[in-house]
Amino acid sequence: MAMQVDNSAATAPGALADDGLRPAPRLRRRLDAAPFRIGVIATLAVCVLGPVGLIVYQSFLNGPFFSARSRLSLDAYAYVLSDPSFYQALGTTVLFAAGMVAVAVPLGGVLAFLLTRTDIRARKWLEILVLMPMFISSIVLAFGYTVSVGPSGFVAMFFRETFGFVPWNIYSLGGMIVIAGLSHVPHVYLYVSSAMRNLPSDLEEAARCSGAGIWRVSLDVTLPMVLPALVFAAALNILLGFETFGIPLVLGDPNGIMVLTTYIYKLTTLFGVPTYQLMAVVAMVLVLLTLPLVYFQRRLLRHSRRFAALGGKGGRSTPLKLGRGGQLIALSIIGLWLFVSVVLPIGGITLRAFVNAWGLGINLFDHFTFANFANLYSVPQLFRGIVNTVVLAVVGGALAVVIYLLIGLAGHRNTGMSNTVLDYIVLLPRALPGLIVGLAFFWVFLFVPLLTPLRPTLVSLFVAYAVVGLSYGLRLLQGTLIQVGPELEEAARTTGATIGRTWRDVVIPIIRPGVVGAWALIMIIFLREYATGVYLMGAGTEVIGSLMVSLLQTGAMDTIAALAFISIALTAGGLALALRLGARVHD
Amino acid sequence: MRMICTRAIAAAVLSAAALGGAFAQDVPAGYPANYADLVKQAKSEGKLVIYTSTDGAQAKGLLDAFAAKYPGIAIEYNDLGTNGVYNRVISEAAANQTGADIIWSSAMDLQMALATDGYTDTYVTAETKSLPSWATYKDTLFATTVEPIGIIYNTKALPDGVPKTRPELIKWLGDNKDKLKGKVATFDPEKSGSGFLHHTNDARQRKDFWDLAKAFGADAGRTYSSTGAMKETVVSGENLLAFNAIGSYAFLWIKESPNLGLAFGDDYTAAFSRVAAIAKGAPHPAAAKLFIDFMLSKPGQEALAAAGLPSVRTDVEKGFNLTTLNQRVGGNLKPIALDEGLLFYMQPQNRVEFFKQWKASLSGS
Repeated sequence: MAMQVDNSAATAPGALADDGLRPAPRLRRRLDAAPFRIGVIATLAVCVLGPVGLIVYQSFLNGPFFSARSRLSLDAYAYVLSDPSFYQALGTTVLFAAGMVAVAVPLGGVLAFLLTRTDIRARKWLEILVLMPMFISSIVLAFGYTVSVGPSGFVAMFFRETFGFVPWNIYSLGGMIVIAGLSHVPHVYLYVSSAMRNLPSDLEEAARCSGAGIWRVSLDVTLPMVLPALVFAAALNILLGFETFGIPLVLGDPNGIMVLTTYIYKLTTLFGVPTYQLMAVVAMVLVLLTLPLVYFQRRLLRHSRRFAALGGKGGRSTPLKLGRGGQLIALSIIGLWLFVSVVLPIGGITLRAFVNAWGLGINLFDHFTFANFANLYSVPQLFRGIVNTVVLAVVGGALAVVIYLLIGLAGHRNTGMSNTVLDYIVLLPRALPGLIVGLAFFWVFLFVPLLTPLRPTLVSLFVAYAVVGLSYGLRLLQGTLIQVGPELEEAARTTGATIGRTWRDVVIPIIRPGVVGAWALIMIIFLREYATGVYLMGAGTEVIGSLMVSLLQTGAMDTIAALAFISIALTAGGLALALRLGARVHD
Repeated sequence: MRMICTRAIAAAVLSAAALGGAFAQDVPAGYPANYADLVKQAKSEGKLVIYTSTDGAQAKGLLDAFAAKYPGIAIEYNDLGTNGVYNRVISEAAANQTGADIIWSSAMDLQMALATDGYTDTYVTAETKSLPSWATYKDTLFATTVEPIGIIYNTKALPDGVPKTRPELIKWLGDNKDKLKGKVATFDPEKSGSGFLHHTNDARQRKDFWDLAKAFGADAGRTYSSTGAMKETVVSGENLLAFNAIGSYAFLWIKESPNLGLAFGDDYTAAFSRVAAIAKGAPHPAAAKLFIDFMLSKPGQEALAAAGLPSVRTDVEKGFNLTTLNQRVGGNLKPIALDEGLLFYMQPQNRVEFFKQWKASLSGS
C-alpha cells in the first residue's frame, strides 16, 4: 500500500496542504504523507545530529573545537581507553543499569497491571502516588534518602535504637541500585499502563472464563500483549541507568564508587580546565553502547502489527476482580513500595525543608523554621527559577508533545528506511548524558549565527529539553499509535479521506488519552530535569533543577531542600490536574 | 601584621575622607576627578552582566547596595558555578560574543588562568590602596573576600573539640582510629575545584600536608564535593569532622546548629578569596569598572561581610574584616596570594603528580 501511494505523493508537491497545515485546496486528491514524513525526519535529524555531530567531532580533537590550537587527534581516545578508572566506571555503570532494570521493570509492570487491569481500591489516589518518585530529580531523591535512611537518618536511628543495628547501607552499589531501581518504577509504569489501559478485556475475560487464575491471566494474556511497552521501558531504563548522575553523585561519591557520568565530572577537575575532548569520548562510548540496544529493540518489535489491539470492534475494558485476599495482597505490595520509594525520600526532603539541622541528638522541634523558604522570595534568581520551570514544563511540555505527535505520525505505519533512521535518531540524545547535550546546545546557540539571539531566552532551554525528552515522549505516543488497528485507518482511506484527514479525524481522537498522558509525563520530565540546563541557563532563564546543581557546588542545602519541596509541590499539583483532564477524556 | 596595620590606618584616613567628600555627587574621595563621567557613561550603558560562582542569596546585599547607589543600571546575575563560569567565558570569547562584564569566581586558579590567557582586562582602581598587596594581580584580578579554611565537627560526638594545630591533628587522627574510622571527611580534590585549591595550597605551603593525607587515608576518610554536603553529614553525626572546609559558610551554620563546631588551626589557617575581574571586550565596560570599584569599596565590602563573606579590607565594621578574622582564627591567617604560583598546579604533569600522591596516601601506601 505504501508503495502505491508514494507514487501519487511524488506528483503532488503541495501535499502538506492536505494535512491541515494550510487551508485545503479545492482539488481533492488522495495524497500520501511522504513529503510530510521526509520534512519532519529531516528537521529532526538537523536538530539532533547537529549537536551530536559536534560531540563526535570534538572527540577527535586534542582541545576545544573552537580553539585555533586544536588539531585532529586520537589522543583523547588513547587517554580514556588506557585509564583504569574508566574501565572501573564502565563496569560499575553496566552493573548499575542492569540492576536498575531488574528492580524497576518487574515492579513497574506489576503496578501497571494492578492499577489498570484489576478492580483495586483507591485507584485514583494510587495513580497519583505511584508517579511521585518521578517528581524529584535524582539528585534530590538521593539526598532525601540520606535524611531518612542514611547512617544518621531518622529511620536508621529508629532501627538502631530498636534492634541495635541498621541492616542496610545506602552508600554502596547495592544501595544505589535499589534506590535507582525503585525511583525508576514510575517510568516503567507509565509506558506499560498506557499500553494496558487501551487493551480490550475480552481476551482476559475469556481466559478467566476458562478457569485461569489472575496471575496466570496476567502472565499468559496481558504480559504478551504489552511486551512492546515492557521492552521499550527496559531499554529506556538501561539508557537512563547509563545516564544517571544524581544518585551516584550523592550516594556513590563519598565512598569512591564511580560511574561513567561521575567519571566525566571528575575529568573536568582532574585537568583543572574543562576537557571537552575527553567528555566527548566518554559520550561516544555511551552512544556506542546504546546503538546495539536500539538494534536489538527493533528486531524484537519487527512485527508490531501483532500488538494491535485497539481495533474497530470497540472492546470495552472490564477490570479483573481481585477478591478480598487479592485486594489485601495487592494493596500491601503497593503500600510497601510506596513507603520505600515515596514516603522515605519525600519525607526526608520535606523534613529537611523545614528544619536547619537534623541527625544524631537533635531535637527537630527546636530547629523548625520557615527561613529556608524566605530566600526563594527575596532572591530574584530563585523566584524566577520557579516561574521559568513552571512555564517550561507546562507550556514547553505541551509544545513538545505536539512536536512529538508530528514526529510520531511521520513514523506511523511507515516501515521504510526513513523509519529506521528515525528510530536511531530519536534514541541518540537519550544515550548522551543531559549535561553533555546541554553543553552541545549551548555551543550550537553560541556559534550558529541565526540562533544566537535565542540563547539568552527560554527557547534555547526548550529546544534542548525537547530533544532530551524526545525518546520518552515519542515512545509513549508510538506505544499508543501502534495500538490503533490499521483497519480503522484503512476504512477512512477507502472512503476517500486523505492521510492528513485520517490522522485528524480517526487516529488523533482515538489516542487523545495517550496524548494527555504524554503531556503529563513530559511535564514531569521537564520539571525534574537538572543536568541539561547547567550550561544553558543564565540570568533570566534559571530553572529549579539546574539552580540546585549550581547551589550544590557551594552546598546551600537549606535552599536546595526548599527548592526541592517547591518542585515536588508544583509537580503534584500539575499532575493532579493532568490526571483529572486525562480521566475526563478517557471516559 | 605591620602591613595590615598601616593599611588599616590608610583605610581609616580614606574612609574619613570619603565621609567628607560625600557631598561631591557620586564621586568618592580619592577617585579621579573625571569619575562622574564614568558614572554617567555606565548609566547610559544601563546594564551590568556578572558571571559568578557565588550564590545569589550571598550576593544579594552587594547587588542591592550597588543598585541603590547607581540606580538605572540593571544587574544580570548569572550563578554558573566555577567550571560554568570558566567554560562560558572561553566559549563566548571564541564565538566573539562576550557576554560577561564581571567575572567573579572562587576558583582562584581558573581566574588566574583566564587572566594570563588574555580573557580579562586591566583596570586601575583607586581602591587598590585599601587592599593588601597579595589581594590584587597586575590591576586585573582583585580578591574581594578572604574566607578561612577550617575544621567543622560534631560537638555532641567530640565535646572536647579538635586539635588546634596541624601536627596535633595528624597525631590525633592516628591515635583515635577506632573512634574516627570512616567518620572523617574532606573535600574531594578530584571532583571539586575548591577542594583541589585548598589541598594543593596546603601541599605548597606545608611540608606535613602528605602526613595529614596519610592519616586521613588510614582513618578510611570520605570525600565530598562541597562544604555544604560535608556539613550535612557532620551535623547529622554521619561524620564526626571535616577538615579543609570553607569556614565562612560555617560561621553562619554554627549559629543555627548547636551541635556543629568550628575550629581553625592556631599555627596555620589558609584562606581563599573570591576573585573578580573585568572581561576583555565587556559589553558594558564603564558599569564593570564602577562595580569593581564598588565591590572593593568600604560599603561594598560591608555588604559582602554582612552576608558572611569576610572582607579583605581592615576598616569594615560589619561581619569580619581581615584584622578581626585573623584574631578569630588564632592569629596565623595565611590567605592564598593572587600570584602566578596559582598556575603551578594548572600544569598537567604537576596535577597528575598531585593526584598520584593523593591516591597513594589515601590507600595507605
